Amino acid sequence: MSSSLPFISRSMEKKFPKLHDAQQDVKSNPVVPHYSPFVSCFPGSLSSSAPGFSSDIHHFSFSADERNIQGLSTEGTWCADQIQGALDRSDNVIAGNNQAHSSSIELPDDINRQDEWWTDMMNDDWKELLDDTTVNESHPKVSYPAAQTSASMVNQPQIHQSVPSHSEEGFTVAGSSSATATATKPRMRWTPELHERFVEAVNQLGGSEKATPKGVLKLMKVEGLTIYHVKSHLQKYRTTRYKPDSLEGSMKTAKFGEETPPLNLKTSFDLTEALRLQIEVQKQLHEQLEIQRNLQLRIEEQGKYLQIMFEKQGMSSQKKLEVSTLEPSISSDHAADGRLQDNQLETDVFPEAKVTDGSSNKQMAESCNAKDNKADFVVGSSFSCGSAKIHDGDDSISKPELS
Amino acid sequence: MKFGKRLKEQIEETLPAWRDEFLSYKDLKQLVKLIPEAQPCSKVEAEFIELLNFEIDKLNAFFVGREEEFIIRQRHLQEMVKRVAEMYQARGREEEYAKEMSRIRKEIVNLHGEMVLLENYSSINYIGLAKILKKYDKRSGRLLRLLFIEKILKQPFFTTDLISKLVKECESMIDLVFPSESDHQQLKPEDKRKLVGEEQSIFRSTVVALVTMQEMRKGSSTYGQFSLPPLSLPDNLLQSLQPTPIPIP
Repeated sequence: MSSSLPFISRSMEKKFPKLHDAQQDVKSNPVVPHYSPFVSCFPGSLSSSAPGFSSDIHHFSFSADERNIQGLSTEGTWCADQIQGALDRSDNVIAGNNQAHSSSIELPDDINRQDEWWTDMMNDDWKELLDDTTVNESHPKVSYPAAQTSASMVNQPQIHQSVPSHSEEGFTVAGSSSATATATKPRMRWTPELHERFVEAVNQLGGSEKATPKGVLKLMKVEGLTIYHVKSHLQKYRTTRYKPDSLEGSMKTAKFGEETPPLNLKTSFDLTEALRLQIEVQKQLHEQLEIQRNLQLRIEEQGKYLQIMFEKQGMSSQKKLEVSTLEPSISSDHAADGRLQDNQLETDVFPEAKVTDGSSNKQMAESCNAKDNKADFVVGSSFSCGSAKIHDGDDSISKPELS
Repeated sequence: MKFGKRLKEQIEETLPAWRDEFLSYKDLKQLVKLIPEAQPCSKVEAEFIELLNFEIDKLNAFFVGREEEFIIRQRHLQEMVKRVAEMYQARGREEEYAKEMSRIRKEIVNLHGEMVLLENYSSINYIGLAKILKKYDKRSGRLLRLLFIEKILKQPFFTTDLISKLVKECESMIDLVFPSESDHQQLKPEDKRKLVGEEQSIFRSTVVALVTMQEMRKGSSTYGQFSLPPLSLPDNLLQSLQPTPIPIP
């Protein structure tokens, strides 16, 4: 039972700091930003993965006996080891993998026995590992170019932005995708810089009508870019230019017809005012969405941290983390084995607080003392009230200390 | 339950081309319901996860496709602004200039609107995923949510930094091309209402998104650690647009 815990904790520790990386704004990268279909990671539809996957499987299946497994079939064992392998590898992938992987590697048939190992997993102790299986097999993929990227011109000395490349989430030409029915080509993510390059190439070739995908591809000189990408982009480019182009005279907007002024507004003055109102509302939505997004990120970070804490707690003495120093006492939801039940996380952290950026710790402290905090126990507050900042890093996680 | 309904409303009010591109929340929920309680891995669970992966791919594909389109459009509009200035304004053809600029302004505002709606798309689908994973965890007794969410946070459809940047650039463009605010008056209330009432418009979709956000963030019975605090909008923003024909229960 405890075999699963260090497993998760370790993976959490490695992944937790990475979350921050994913949010950094990437300015310039030498490789075309690609990402692979999420679905290709699903056990039944696995396709390309980091090379060496198969070798890992073989390797790990031999070490099966060493594990303390009760009543599992061989396949179950294999499954668990596969997870371990996937985790380790995915960590490597995250840790700065900029190389182009070879195109899809056919996985051994083991993988395709997904039905079998699903039904073979009888032991509850493998619950977590089971989760990890489904999740972590996707890990190598997802950790690729998930983060935002920007221009990627390989080996071009005159890169406009000289911001240091980011890419801990390896941007690679991800192997072409699964053998199953899902998306077949690695999808690319265009950036303004890349598009600029594209436009230059097109103009050099005499305009969007004259330019051919092949010619553009050649001129752009971007590693990892395929003619397929250029072709579809060129098509979109042509459509944009010749549809709503005001110099052409006709006026139709992009996807759905807002053709004539909808309100029969009498003057252009009114029209401008209508546009102003529209912009106002749009700006408001944008702002709220940004705030909401940051909140969501923070909440998830915290949730993950707490998960680790509770699992650690379960392993060592339960008393250690008790916030006896605080007024609100810890809820009694800790399961006997210290594992956090899902509904334990349903405590009221933000009663009526308005959270603004940069004030999360303070806000936590406030909610600690807030009289109207109805929760028995505010997990987040406990840590910050104790003036222990929520910081990542292996040391702090292994030795939590409250003031 | 409520989220499903809100999502449905949002989809109804969204741009037609987007309607099929949202998370299939209902389908996922139905699968979760079928999961036998507290049993190790069933076929249903495998199905659930497969659908989940499929959906995430779908979201990514749509998002990235739109993002690409917005990049193209934005640059195009920037080019247009310059060209129109050269062709008309510089040559003193004021009337034509005004006419073209009026069109361009509308294009820019609509582009801005669509980009923000894409951000909203990202957000609402994320919320749906978070909710469905919570349901899954509850039902199956597993702890899939945290791990899955962590990955989702890194997905293209959720990493909206570029779109955000484009939106800001768009706003700068707008500041440039709109006449100064000195002499502008408010629209009459009935005109405002007409704007909102117009179906399938960006504007209406935006308003609905705001209202939905507000509604979703009011406290609920399942309010918990992972819930967002209530939304605070500037006063009167939505009030001034009421009464609207948007049916929010």
